[in-house]
Amino acid sequence: MNAEVNGALREKVREIYRHIQDNLYFNRPDMEVKGEAFNAGLLMGLLTGLSQGKELIIGEPGLGKTTSAEYICTLLYRIPLGTIWGSEVPGHPEQTEEKIIGRPDLGKLNQGEEVVVWSHFALLPVKIVDEINRLPETKQSMILDGVDRGNWEYLNDAIINREYCLFATANYQDRGTNTIIAPLIDRFDVMVESKHPGPNLAYLIGAQGPNGAALRHEELEGEFQRVMSERLPYQVRMERIGEICDRFGEALAREAGIESLSEEDRQTIRSQKEEIPLELDFNAFLRFVLAELSFCCRYGQKRSHEGCEEGCHFTEYLCNTVRNCVSNRLPISARNFAQTLAWLLGDEKVGLEHLKAVLPFTLAHRIQWKDEIVAQREKEARSDPLEIYMAKQAVREMHRRYMEQGTQVKSALAVACRIMDGASMEPIQGDHPIYWEIRKDLGEEVFKE
Amino acid sequence: MRNPFLDFRSLPYEKKEIPLDRIVRAKQEIMDRVLEGYLHLVEEEVKDLVWLVEHSHVVRTYSAAVNCIRELHYDQDDIEEFCAELDSAKKIPYMISGPAGIYLSALINHAPEERIVLRPKDYDRTFHFLGYRLPESKTLIIQGNVGDFIGAGLSGGRLVVEGSVGNWCGAGMMNGEILVTGYAGQKTGEWMRGGEIHVDGSIGSLGRSRFGGKIYQRGKLVIPQELDDQY
Amino acid sequence: MTKLDDILKEIWPRVKGKHLYPELPVPICAEGEDRVGLDIKGKKITISREFVEEMSQALEESDTMEGLLDHAISHYLCCPWDFSTHLKLYGEAKDVLRDKGMAQRATDYFMDVVADTHCVSQKETPLPKIYRNFKGGIVDEAIHALYQKIWGIDLAATGYEDISRKLSRLPYLDRTRWRDSIRRFSKVVKVLFEMEEKQGGSNESSPMGDHGLEQYSSQEIEQGLKDLALDAATPSEFREIVHDFEDEILEATESKEQGMGLGPGRSIDADILYYMKLAENYLLPIRRMPTKKSGSLYPHQHVPWEAGKPYQDIDPWTSFGKIMPGITQTWRRREGEIFGQEEGIPDCIVIIDSSGSMTDPRQRLSHAVLGAACACDAYLRNDAQVAVYNFSDARSGGQKILPYSQYRKQIYRTICHYFGGGTRLLTENIEALQTEKAPDIFLITDMQITNLEVLVEYFNACKNRVTAVHIGDNKHVEAFRHSMAVRKNIEIYGVVKKEDIPRIVLGKVQDYLYKKVGP
Repeated sequence: MNAEVNGALREKVREIYRHIQDNLYFNRPDMEVKGEAFNAGLLMGLLTGLSQGKELIIGEPGLGKTTSAEYICTLLYRIPLGTIWGSEVPGHPEQTEEKIIGRPDLGKLNQGEEVVVWSHFALLPVKIVDEINRLPETKQSMILDGVDRGNWEYLNDAIINREYCLFATANYQDRGTNTIIAPLIDRFDVMVESKHPGPNLAYLIGAQGPNGAALRHEELEGEFQRVMSERLPYQVRMERIGEICDRFGEALAREAGIESLSEEDRQTIRSQKEEIPLELDFNAFLRFVLAELSFCCRYGQKRSHEGCEEGCHFTEYLCNTVRNCVSNRLPISARNFAQTLAWLLGDEKVGLEHLKAVLPFTLAHRIQWKDEIVAQREKEARSDPLEIYMAKQAVREMHRRYMEQGTQVKSALAVACRIMDGASMEPIQGDHPIYWEIRKDLGEEVFKE
Repeated sequence: MRNPFLDFRSLPYEKKEIPLDRIVRAKQEIMDRVLEGYLHLVEEEVKDLVWLVEHSHVVRTYSAAVNCIRELHYDQDDIEEFCAELDSAKKIPYMISGPAGIYLSALINHAPEERIVLRPKDYDRTFHFLGYRLPESKTLIIQGNVGDFIGAGLSGGRLVVEGSVGNWCGAGMMNGEILVTGYAGQKTGEWMRGGEIHVDGSIGSLGRSRFGGKIYQRGKLVIPQELDDQY
Repeated sequence: MTKLDDILKEIWPRVKGKHLYPELPVPICAEGEDRVGLDIKGKKITISREFVEEMSQALEESDTMEGLLDHAISHYLCCPWDFSTHLKLYGEAKDVLRDKGMAQRATDYFMDVVADTHCVSQKETPLPKIYRNFKGGIVDEAIHALYQKIWGIDLAATGYEDISRKLSRLPYLDRTRWRDSIRRFSKVVKVLFEMEEKQGGSNESSPMGDHGLEQYSSQEIEQGLKDLALDAATPSEFREIVHDFEDEILEATESKEQGMGLGPGRSIDADILYYMKLAENYLLPIRRMPTKKSGSLYPHQHVPWEAGKPYQDIDPWTSFGKIMPGITQTWRRREGEIFGQEEGIPDCIVIIDSSGSMTDPRQRLSHAVLGAACACDAYLRNDAQVAVYNFSDARSGGQKILPYSQYRKQIYRTICHYFGGGTRLLTENIEALQTEKAPDIFLITDMQITNLEVLVEYFNACKNRVTAVHIGDNKHVEAFRHSMAVRKNIEIYGVVKKEDIPRIVLGKVQDYLYKKVGP
């Protein structure tokens, strides 16, 4: 890896962050990572854009959920703001597959040919869905499936996005909204809130307003429109879109002094971040977290329809406070975002601090808390919405437990490795679910009375 | 199955052990065996959780207790800890007073230390039969009030009770010395054959069947003297 | 910035990493009492400059500071971990030592031993060097001797073989046995405290500072009290410990007046606080605004049309004018949702029996009071009001009536009141609490009410939802059940175990407040 290129790219991304924070999306820093303050919404958005993730942004109406995603997408993907607006899918119950993915070419259809006119949403790498919870479940599922695989199919035709990221916004539950059901919400990598910026910054927004005009380019937007409407093979179209993106990037740099990322930059960032090694503490702590959120001594694993027995030994652990079992998407999201964060901070390894920073956002939408636990916490003073607050508290709690016994956990994993390799040793015993799970992996039948 | 622990292969597994770990482990092993011995004794000697105080029972129980502790290497601190376990009843499902006291006495009599201090005042339960057959060269100091049959069968040792004793103190003692700073209960010195009992407080009553030995109250010799009629 | 500040800035990231990044603010170096090296207030670690300078004669400043930081972080990570543990340890020490000052010192020393031993056993730390070069009082020296024995490190400690031998047997690193361990620890160190007293008392504080309650946030204190209430066998056990820490608790939770069971003059009424905290362990979530179906169907979303399905809901626009599978879309209709008519939560009347046959809540845990407290809490959290009618021999003045209120401490004070007299209530008083909206009624009694027939007659006539929980069984209960059998709005529960009362009450509350409205 070229350290110079690495440093320059990182500086570019940081500059993008600074520009958005200072000129476009006014908000307060509300999290700290390794002594540096960030706004969680902006940071997670940036990481989502860089790592091809899926982000769910919640918040009260009018607090910048959609606009923050739009700004990030414009600068990370070099797509003019107007083009992005045109590709957004608004969430309402009357949305159809034809509006979201593509429609038949009506002229050809009347001649008996099936030719698909792909929507801008399907074509472009950045996908923004406004108020996703207002979409019916079938449409939510359609979008999330598509973004999961990068595959969009309609009328026996398909396109495969080379790169993509998804930003979905949702208002809080009200009478006009559906719930995003658990299997769908689990597909999001992170959930963040776009908070109110406070009266002083809000005044600034009112007085001078965010200067998004610099992110528009009428001429190039027109070219985008033309290229996306052309009936060309998908690959050809994407090459032409790439050229227009680069021209837009040059225009941004020339006219507004903003450096944006090219496709090559993004690919380089992705390969660089994949190369950053994970520390053993990162590894062990993530396993520690997964153990607490999936373990059940009585039923083998957590299940949403099975409740805890009274007097269970493990009442001090999170398995006693949650209803569901955490999915396998959690470790993927956590690793992905932690690595991207480590790259952004210029660290040589992905460590505990990176994981601690991103974990609450990867957990918040995935955990179903028991009612009595919610009841105990909902009246506590906090500055985050309840789900994110409880996820932060949970991570804090698990981290404290890990700090106390991290050495033993790592030793237990080391011993388990040796046992797997054939060494004649006894697995290390302990109270925490991770020790029990290690023993299960080693083939022991373990259960607690 | 694929080895999911490969990332930790190179991590050296060396548990940093401090002396505390070894001390606690060793003591725990001893305590487990002491407790095991007691439970075994109770199982053998106590039927239906009833144990009658008869001379033959006491003698047999003591022999059984000695057998139980024969191979053990323990010290005074272990004896104190055993008292605490008897008191808390966390690991011991039932404490039968007689066998518990006799077992304790066996532990005391065979302990390496010559001078042992017990503090029953720290506990809620009342201990009986402490100092049973305390041999010569042993001194047992008991801080607190205790129950019945204290110093029974004393065999030359010195028993100091900084508190009061129950009934049958010094019953059947052969030789040695019992000092009680508080009061003594009924039938003090019953069946005693030798040795001395000194009581600083009041004495409930003196044992009628005595075959030797001396009893002092507040420094004054009361037995052998014809003062039985007063009691 | 001084040299010490620079050193601190350099070593803090390393120490933090060593302990796996605890969430503690950056420590500072400040002027302080020269014998106190460390002061932990609200998680903020302050290192005494004078102490570091004094120790610099024998040790590097960086070693001293690192050792102090290791100690402080170990307290955060390991022992006492939280306020609840601190109180439990203190409770056990107090039970043995029967003296507040000694119990606090014993607890402090025990926590120090646990934290230091944990640190030494897990990490590389210069902490032993501090102890080797620090001379303290009698107890400190004995503890150093203990450290020397259990760490296997020479700390130049002499004497105290007997004490250190006894103390070395304790499993300090086994959290599950801390309560037993601190009891045995306290018994042993009592001798040392007495020795110190005889020599004129201890003039020097530990270099690691005292462990007061300032290090805990008000939230931690609230949680700790809740855990303590659950853990305490009797209200008096809870009361004893809370009284010992009353000043510190009040200071730490100044703004939370309503939640603290405050009595007159701003002292803590520990008995009320006990039931308040205990009831918090039985919380129900806040009820959401109910919705119901409107009964009318409206087009809601498009779904693909399949051959054989009806035509009438086909949307020609989205179907591009074509009727063919794969192209044609049809509307799926859905019922609209509107707000249910039943908005808001009814108020609640709690009728509690505090006659002589019921448990005195200040002496022992009264499940009747706890059940009443749980019901009150549930209604208050849903912004309803609660009235309380506490009765014994009402005609002789043995009754206490609280009109509708949302003030927790008033409500709890009324519930916890104990008359201990006869059992006779006045239904006129219940009637006086009735409102237009027919509040829910919870009656908790052992049903040995002398004028039960009057109550029966009253309930027969009223429209409220009534839940009657009685303890035990007797002929009066039979009579009550029989007379209430035909009434749908009245439910009677008998409990054999008093521990079931809170659960039954909460179950009914859940039924009343959370069951779905409509079809």
